[in-house]
Amino acid sequence: MAILQQRRISGISLWRSIIKLLRLRLVIFIGGFRRSKLSRKLGWIILGIIILGVLALVFIGSWFLLRFISSPELAQYVGKPSAFLATVPVIVFTATFIGILLTSFGLLLQALYLAGDMDFLLSAPVPIRAVFISKMLQAILPNFGLILLFGLPLLYGLGASEGYNILYFPLVILLLSAMALAAAGLSSLLVMLIVRVFPARRVAEVLGLFVGLVSILCSQSGQIANWTDVSQQQASQAFQLVSQVNSSWSPFAWGGRGLVGIGQGHWLIGSGLIIATLVLAIGIFFFSLQTAERWYFTGWAGLQTDTVKKKKRHHVPETSKGGLRYLSSYRFIPASTVAIIQKDFIMMRRDLRNMSQLITPLIFGVIYAVLFIRGGGQAPEGRGQAPAWMLEAFNNLMVYGNVGISLFVSWTFLSRVALTVFSQEGRNYWMIKSAPMSSGRILTAKFIVSYLPALSLGWGFILVISFLQHAPLSIFVYSLLVVTFCIAGLTGLNLFFGVNGANFEWQDPRRMAQGGIGCLSSLLSIIFLVFSLGLFFIPPFLFSFFLLPGFIGDIIGLIIGGSLCLAVAIIPLRQVRDKIPRLDEN
Amino acid sequence: MTENNVLIETEKLSKNFGDKVAVNQVSFQVFGGEIFGFLGPNGAGKTTTIKMIVGLLQPTSGSVKVSGFDVQSQPLLAKAVNGYVPDTPNLYPKLTGRELLRFVGDLYEMDRRQVDRRIEELLKLFDLIDASDDTIDSYSHGMKQKTAIAAALMHDPSVLVLDEPTVGLDPKSARLIKDILRQMADRGAAIFLSTHILEIAERMCDRIGIINQGKVIAIGNMDELRSQGGGGGSLEDIFLELTGGAEYAEIAEVLG
Repeated sequence: MAILQQRRISGISLWRSIIKLLRLRLVIFIGGFRRSKLSRKLGWIILGIIILGVLALVFIGSWFLLRFISSPELAQYVGKPSAFLATVPVIVFTATFIGILLTSFGLLLQALYLAGDMDFLLSAPVPIRAVFISKMLQAILPNFGLILLFGLPLLYGLGASEGYNILYFPLVILLLSAMALAAAGLSSLLVMLIVRVFPARRVAEVLGLFVGLVSILCSQSGQIANWTDVSQQQASQAFQLVSQVNSSWSPFAWGGRGLVGIGQGHWLIGSGLIIATLVLAIGIFFFSLQTAERWYFTGWAGLQTDTVKKKKRHHVPETSKGGLRYLSSYRFIPASTVAIIQKDFIMMRRDLRNMSQLITPLIFGVIYAVLFIRGGGQAPEGRGQAPAWMLEAFNNLMVYGNVGISLFVSWTFLSRVALTVFSQEGRNYWMIKSAPMSSGRILTAKFIVSYLPALSLGWGFILVISFLQHAPLSIFVYSLLVVTFCIAGLTGLNLFFGVNGANFEWQDPRRMAQGGIGCLSSLLSIIFLVFSLGLFFIPPFLFSFFLLPGFIGDIIGLIIGGSLCLAVAIIPLRQVRDKIPRLDEN
Repeated sequence: MTENNVLIETEKLSKNFGDKVAVNQVSFQVFGGEIFGFLGPNGAGKTTTIKMIVGLLQPTSGSVKVSGFDVQSQPLLAKAVNGYVPDTPNLYPKLTGRELLRFVGDLYEMDRRQVDRRIEELLKLFDLIDASDDTIDSYSHGMKQKTAIAAALMHDPSVLVLDEPTVGLDPKSARLIKDILRQMADRGAAIFLSTHILEIAERMCDRIGIINQGKVIAIGNMDELRSQGGGGGSLEDIFLELTGGAEYAEIAEVLG
């Protein structure tokens, strides 16, 4: 009796502690909201409105979907609609489980290892289980909310349209919650296993890179896909593939089938499958919880096994190295400037948190290059009415489309690098600021750090596309020069905003660049690009129009366009030179 | 220590952050060959003063001279003779210890062979050789602190400014730092350090300045401070006498 009472008291204490810990998070969130700037508050309010909008859209979407389910068009693709309908809950449960498993990984990594509050919480008179449950709930809640936002209207819509039993509706929430908890439990174990081998911060960096790449690939894959040519067979195959998740050995299928069974009044099989799913999910959750607690409390999860042998860098005396130092040894560039350039390139390469943002333009570039090449990159044949000079000029312009792609790719990359090249110094900026370096040298270093990779990227694209299109050598060389000048101008312009919007107090690399500055620099960069490309290409076009020697037009274009680009590369930087010694003084 | 060799000189130095006066008309001199301790309660203005000396913050009014060079009008010359160790060792996390020291050597435009030699010397001195090719994000706080001190010593500065240099160091490393500072002072350098550990200040420093609420309230050697502080025995007594110790009565009340 006494043991039972003690358990009851400890149970109450557990839930009270969980509520206290969750309330603490809520208080921190509300406090942060109150203290935030007006723009941030407005951002949250707009986000709330958008979420409500999405909710409404999903409801409307579900309604349309329900109408579509009974349409003959769908039957063409999926065969028997009833079989497909029975699969819908299974798909939602599978998506919930995998979605929570993946998305809570990063959140749990942050909550358990990087937040830095675990020692404080575990030394407080709070049950260790309460700490873990609250951490898991924190990790689940945002994404679970999103899943409910999309999944609930769908499953409820299904239940309503099929006239399922009333018990179906609460069971949907119960099963989704159980799935989410089980996924979060497994995710916490996965986090601990991985952090035992690799440092938590490194895992977070790799994860950031991976998530960034996947999201870019997912968002851009639609550009390459040829949706208009999807055949009925392809669609059928896709639906069949999706239906395969409804296999009887899958626990997700048990839950889904159980729900449909309950909804249709097949009580025995329905309740049996639902109980099996719940027992399994809750079992996984408690097993994970207990194991995570034990691993953490015994210190197992905090010790790295060091199974991966550290690759020792073989130290080579710097005096025997070549590369950029070669430039400084001949006094082309001062050693301090070269030092910053080398340091920035090393940091760029080693810090994976930035890498995903830098790879974005590469992916964009590849996609748009594929689209451009797929389009043929040639002027349409027409019906013979257009004069020959116009067709030739138009063909030339199409070839100069290479320049457009190349500049677009370079600019996407450059805008990221140049806007954050000062901010990325973060709290380490004191090292440069306290060194005897003039503003001019610092700006030169940062200019080169931004300019060189963007230029290489631009030249790379010009080279590849010109090669694939068999572009004439003169056009290839002209394109290279135009790209060289334009990127110089873009660098000056973006670096100007990078200095003005420098933020050295960031924790999350995504917050390095300030939104307003980014928008303004993008707007001005586009205006600059349009204007400068006009100056580069209008003279050759006019010379072609008046049947004059083309190379003179090219030279005039280079002189006018190049002058503008050089002016834009230099003048903005002269404007911000005096700001450099005063950076990071707020 | 030679009285005519003034290496750090502040003249009515002030810094305001909006309405808040962080440093108020601070004037003092630090001579070559001496270790000058800069003490004060939390928020007294120590770090702000230090940041103005090393050129990280622009004074609102007044001036700072380092080795005779005005930090505002001749910043590059002043910085070239300065070495600085901040209170928090924020170092580029993705550079190795060796790369960081080389980076600093290049920032100060040192000769390349000298950089290589100096890096080896400092890594050995601070017992960082084994970790020298690991990235700094894998270092402990103490290792980062030692790396920051090594970076400050790379160009063999004649003025060394240290903000809480012994925080996070093990006793052996703390002793090493003290010995290095004494040797540097003996060779004619000016050492300016802020610390909360009064025993260190009492034992190491030739002269001590105490700052409170942005104003220097006492300055001199131990004997001079004793006379300014009403004849208290230890530096701790003098410090509490000058900066106030009323909070201790409140602590006793709370704990009692």
